Amino acid sequence: MSSSVLPRADDAGAHPLGPTRTPAFEARLAKRYRAERNFRLVGMSAVIFSVAVLVFLLGNMLINGIAGFQRAEMEVTIDFPASGVSGDAVSLTAPSAMQTLEMQGLPDVILFFAESQVGKDAAEQISSDAWRDVAAALADDPDLITRSATFRLPTSSALASGLQGEGAPEMQALAQKLANEGKLARNWDWGFLSRSDATSPQAVGIWGALKGSMLTMLVTLVLAFPIGVLSALYLEEYAPRNRWTDIIEVSISNLAAVPSIIFGLLGLAVFLALFPGLRSAPLIGGMTLALMTMPVIVISGRNAIKAVPPSIRDGALAIGASPVQVVFHHVLPLALPGMLTGTIIGMARALGETAPLLLIGMRIFVATPPEGFASPATVLPMQIFLWSDEIDRGFVERTSAAIIVLLVFLLTMNGLAIYLRNKFEKRW
Amino acid sequence: MTVIHPNMADENAKIRARDVCVFYGDKKAIDHVSIDISPNYVTAFIGPSGCGKSTFLRCFNRMNDTIGAAKVTGLIELDGEDIHGSRMDVVQLRARVGMVFQKPNPFPKSIYENIAYGPKIHGLAEKKADLDIVVERSLTRAGLWDEVKDRLEDSGTALSGGQQQRLCIARAIAVDPEVILMDEPASALDPIATAKIEELIDELSGRYAIVIVTHSMQQAARVSQRTAFFHLGKMVEYGPTSEIFTNPIEERTKDYITGRYG
Repeated sequence: MSSSVLPRADDAGAHPLGPTRTPAFEARLAKRYRAERNFRLVGMSAVIFSVAVLVFLLGNMLINGIAGFQRAEMEVTIDFPASGVSGDAVSLTAPSAMQTLEMQGLPDVILFFAESQVGKDAAEQISSDAWRDVAAALADDPDLITRSATFRLPTSSALASGLQGEGAPEMQALAQKLANEGKLARNWDWGFLSRSDATSPQAVGIWGALKGSMLTMLVTLVLAFPIGVLSALYLEEYAPRNRWTDIIEVSISNLAAVPSIIFGLLGLAVFLALFPGLRSAPLIGGMTLALMTMPVIVISGRNAIKAVPPSIRDGALAIGASPVQVVFHHVLPLALPGMLTGTIIGMARALGETAPLLLIGMRIFVATPPEGFASPATVLPMQIFLWSDEIDRGFVERTSAAIIVLLVFLLTMNGLAIYLRNKFEKRW
Repeated sequence: MTVIHPNMADENAKIRARDVCVFYGDKKAIDHVSIDISPNYVTAFIGPSGCGKSTFLRCFNRMNDTIGAAKVTGLIELDGEDIHGSRMDVVQLRARVGMVFQKPNPFPKSIYENIAYGPKIHGLAEKKADLDIVVERSLTRAGLWDEVKDRLEDSGTALSGGQQQRLCIARAIAVDPEVILMDEPASALDPIATAKIEELIDELSGRYAIVIVTHSMQQAARVSQRTAFFHLGKMVEYGPTSEIFTNPIEERTKDYITGRYG
């Protein structure tokens, strides 16, 4: 030990380092600081650029989408006692009320009152389905039948375009005239959130697709989360390290990278072959998306489990906890926040997925919201795709509105997951 | 060749190891070590880094089982019962042989939960009132009760390093083990916290058989009554601490305790 002595700093010749208090050293120092400033600047511009893109995207969507939450509505007052349409609290709220009112000539009654109030040309532009809105209002408040009431009825898309200064000149003139009289206006269309798909952009709603998405996501979550988490736990905590587990690991990583349309083909070939009656059903859609989401959850789950310090496991084992107790009392609670992060990413991807659902028949026109997991349904991104394909100008705004609904759904889902993650997060 | 001082064989040995070898894959980490650990004494394992003393310690509660590549041969008995035998369950063994690690590793749960966890999983105390008693008694024995009695619901990880280690000791004694293994329990602590741990080991020594692995020869001299010196996977010398430090027989032991290597 004592034989080798380190050269001392004041030993001239034995000291290979240059001095530090020189102009050259200070110049190098200044260069180092400059490099750091430049790096910070580059990083900051990258962040600013991405924020700007995001703001532009959201702003554009919002401006277009707000119009999608509105529709052109014409004001018509109907004097029910004078109309010949009759009914009472029982018959108007009965399931058959629609037919009864149609047979009593409610559509013609509306047309008659509209003609007398806004003129024949304008009355013809009231949507042919408008009477259904009136019938629904009567079902909500049967008392209306005893008096005169004012309704705001949807118009044809031609008149709606006219109100926005587009389309045929005579429609623009008519719309202008009616708007000046206060009979025609663009109003907030809360019904957009409660109706389903329709042929006219004035009558469409997002609820059918939203409910379809919710049901599909529920199936995906219920299948993918437990299977993914349990696979991750088994592979990380129990499985021996050998060739088979290596093969499984590689397969899972590959599965996560498979293009989504392939999963659609798989769903078509396997799930629809097994359950041919469930074409277009959220159940099949959810199962297909679960296949796609599961590998993401497994991979992120395994990383989260790996991040749990081994000392915690040792501590629990040393006190006599069985391996299952170690996993469920210590590893899982600590890994859960990370697993939830992976689940958010996977579910967000599944929510926005269209391609695999095309193949299992979810590209359909659904005029009524799905009743359950087995009834035909479509999902939000599919609805956006379908509407963006429509020719009618009115669908452009409705598409933007549907995108906003999709984004809000996504944000709500992510917000919930982040809340849960923070709630479970523990430091060690 | 192992030198064992006279009168070290113990009829009532708590732990008796015979010809224990530990392999990590092809590497032999422990080479034919035989030792009797007496109850009511503190036994210290000393030796340079990588000599296998921690590996040997981990044999006593079968913590080496958790390392896939590790293989243990030879006989280890706890109160005359083979710990690898079919009648010995590893969970039960670890309830009887507690362990404290080098780095404090409290669970990221409340102080109360840290202590109550062991009794709970073994079903030793069912009622809240019983658990309260166990928690207070364990923390008192670990010399931590006065410091934490007003904040039992705080996280165990919020304590200082020394307090965390005493919490881990309290956690180990909460299940009332017969032996406590300590793997360099003070090496991550400052001198004051170390002194407290050593004091605590002294207090616990009558009640439990304690085996401590340490890097610090002064610590071994202060807290232990028996010392085993390990070198390159072999036990070189085993004897009363005073003899090992003042009158070692083996040349290598003498070199180590006089600071020639290590």
